[in-house]
Amino acid sequence: MDFIVVGSGAAGGIVAKELATAGHSVVVLEQGPRIEAEQFEHDEVKTLFQSALQNPPAGFTFRRTEADPARPGQIQLLYHRLVGGGSVMFTANYWRFREIDFVERSRLGAVPGTGLADWPIRYRDLEGYYTKAEWELGVSGVPGPFDPPRSRPYPLPPLPVKSSGVLFERGARALGLHPQPAPLCILSQPFHGRPACQHCGYCLGFGCEFRAKSSTLYTVIPTAEATGRCEVRPNCYVWKIDVDQRGRATGATYFDENKEERFQPARAVVVCCNGSETPRLLLLSTSNQFPNGLANSSGLVGKYLMFNGYSTASGVFERPLNEYKSVMVTRVLYDFYDSDPRRGFYGGGALDARAFVYPTMFALQGLPLDAPSWGAEYKRMLRDYYTRTMNVDGHSTSLPLETNTISLDPEVKDAWGLPAMRVTYKDHADDLAMMRFLQNKAIEVLEAAGARRTWGQPVQEATLAAHLLGTCRMGDDPRTSVVDRHHRAHDVRNLFICDGSSLVTGGRGQPTATIQALAYRAGEHIARFARRGEI
Amino acid sequence: MRRTSGIAPVAVTAAGWHTCWVIDDAVSRRVFLAASGTAFASAWLAADADDLRASLAHAARAAGSDALLPWEALAPEQAADLEAIAAQIFPSDDTPGAREAHVVNFLDHSLATWAAPQREDLIRGLDELNAEAARRWPGASRFALLAPKRQLDLLRARDQTPFFQQMRFATLVGMFSLPSYGGNASKLGWQVIGFEDRYAWQPPFGDYDAEAAKDGR
Repeated sequence: MDFIVVGSGAAGGIVAKELATAGHSVVVLEQGPRIEAEQFEHDEVKTLFQSALQNPPAGFTFRRTEADPARPGQIQLLYHRLVGGGSVMFTANYWRFREIDFVERSRLGAVPGTGLADWPIRYRDLEGYYTKAEWELGVSGVPGPFDPPRSRPYPLPPLPVKSSGVLFERGARALGLHPQPAPLCILSQPFHGRPACQHCGYCLGFGCEFRAKSSTLYTVIPTAEATGRCEVRPNCYVWKIDVDQRGRATGATYFDENKEERFQPARAVVVCCNGSETPRLLLLSTSNQFPNGLANSSGLVGKYLMFNGYSTASGVFERPLNEYKSVMVTRVLYDFYDSDPRRGFYGGGALDARAFVYPTMFALQGLPLDAPSWGAEYKRMLRDYYTRTMNVDGHSTSLPLETNTISLDPEVKDAWGLPAMRVTYKDHADDLAMMRFLQNKAIEVLEAAGARRTWGQPVQEATLAAHLLGTCRMGDDPRTSVVDRHHRAHDVRNLFICDGSSLVTGGRGQPTATIQALAYRAGEHIARFARRGEI
Repeated sequence: MRRTSGIAPVAVTAAGWHTCWVIDDAVSRRVFLAASGTAFASAWLAADADDLRASLAHAARAAGSDALLPWEALAPEQAADLEAIAAQIFPSDDTPGAREAHVVNFLDHSLATWAAPQREDLIRGLDELNAEAARRWPGASRFALLAPKRQLDLLRARDQTPFFQQMRFATLVGMFSLPSYGGNASKLGWQVIGFEDRYAWQPPFGDYDAEAAKDGR
């Protein structure tokens, strides 16, 4: 076997496809099951409450700071274990990063007490791979006034605007802002044998039964398998990367679905498990040569965890919007993307107009915080608000802090007896300030759009994380980074790491396009190294 | 499907919709849920997929029959109490409420299957509620038999308790989840709020995009 790819999600699926189509044999070891399109259902109980796609295998613990005791629960890491990973159930926002995201440290100067750093690569190094991702996977959109330069237009036009998008445009324009159609990794027209979006309304948290969401499950993974050189093996929980006496990776040890331990040898290993599972796997992979975990001579594996800032505001309007139909987001604005010293804090972000109105979820917590939560008046309000409510959400920067980490819990074990993941995370004050700033802007937009009432969920420290970034950061200096600019581990020549963990900065809140562009780029470089005998 | 009618009060035991009062304050709970929804579900997470499938099959069978089925997890008087509580949480007015949507069937069936671990807590909470009713109104026996005004007063005084929060959560899930889970009978819950479960739509979706399209934007 030439390559093991651990993880089949947004990054792993692409790396596997790039390596297989370059002529290599590849086995993809995926922690979760394989679930096909016809098995996805509009079932809130199973999908949201019972986490059928997350397939949570084990507990983890959380603490705000090192000084606090780590306890189970308290925060939720929202990621999904199945073939295709998070690309199956994500909202499908598909924003490119911009030049500033790669060079913000040198443009702004240091932010004291943080690890804000420049990337070793620039936007121009990734532009072609963003384009490749958009055209291979199928992305719908149209460039807006602040978009970074692109070498090709989007392959597909934007999805039809929803009432939330119309109102968002109305409010934003009244304030002198610049709303634009949202780029989405969802097909607005038939593409590569897959149908266009049917506007069923079940994107966020759900798999697309029409195959219109351009998940790796429906795109690069079938392409990789069609080469005859790639096997995607589900229900394989990799818990160790093995090394030989020379410190080279020899393969991966995993538990199969019967919890039987197995070893898969390979000439090289690519780890694509996401920004939480990747550092955990490396930290679990201790050996005589690597007593502190694999690829961890810098001590930075698991550090600089970033979640992205998130805030939300809601508005209710006179007439029905019916936001339960179609995709989550149709309009976005980037006027606040850059950090602005006049605000008095570091940070940047964007707003989008969106729905979160699955019926059970909305009944449980869609009304304003001070509304009745049961009884006749609750029912009256629910009937009034359900079809007439929309959200404007803020998505923003997280400063990289060395104290925000994924580590191994010294006491708690998972269902396989392995040390549980321990999350330590406290939002930087500037991140919280940016969230509040965007929430205030969101309320202004909703009011300018004519909302008859607006409300916001209080901004507070993270209780949920859907984006898991920065924990094996990329850099040229082995003392201050885990992987080099080609995603090769500084410490292990035949080990590559590519997923959200590679990000040096977290962008403005929608990292998937960048993770996938990096995966295309990494796959190409790894194949080139293999061809030249440089692995 | 409709189970035994009438006054049969019932007592459910602790079944598991304990959801989120483990998170201290309502605000964090709501923010948390706003983004995921999965937090509420801690109890549901324990459900075994096979149990779930079996229970769905049961509900589907039951839905196809007019026969009265026996209660699975509840004594009749407990079922009557829980139905009365659900009917206060999501009342019937000029539109259907929890009663018409057969939320009690959802409760009973859940407590017999995937929510079974929470049955004991729930029944204990119900027993406490009935004990409180008896303290307040000597001679009162069960919640379901109280006058509606008294039911409301009692629940208002206790709506921050874990029992009530559990009942709120379960009632609303029963009201708005797939009918195959036993509640939301004839999709009444969805009809009441204006949700339609089609798998395909075409624009315009709402009034404002329809208006914009007409204006040629």
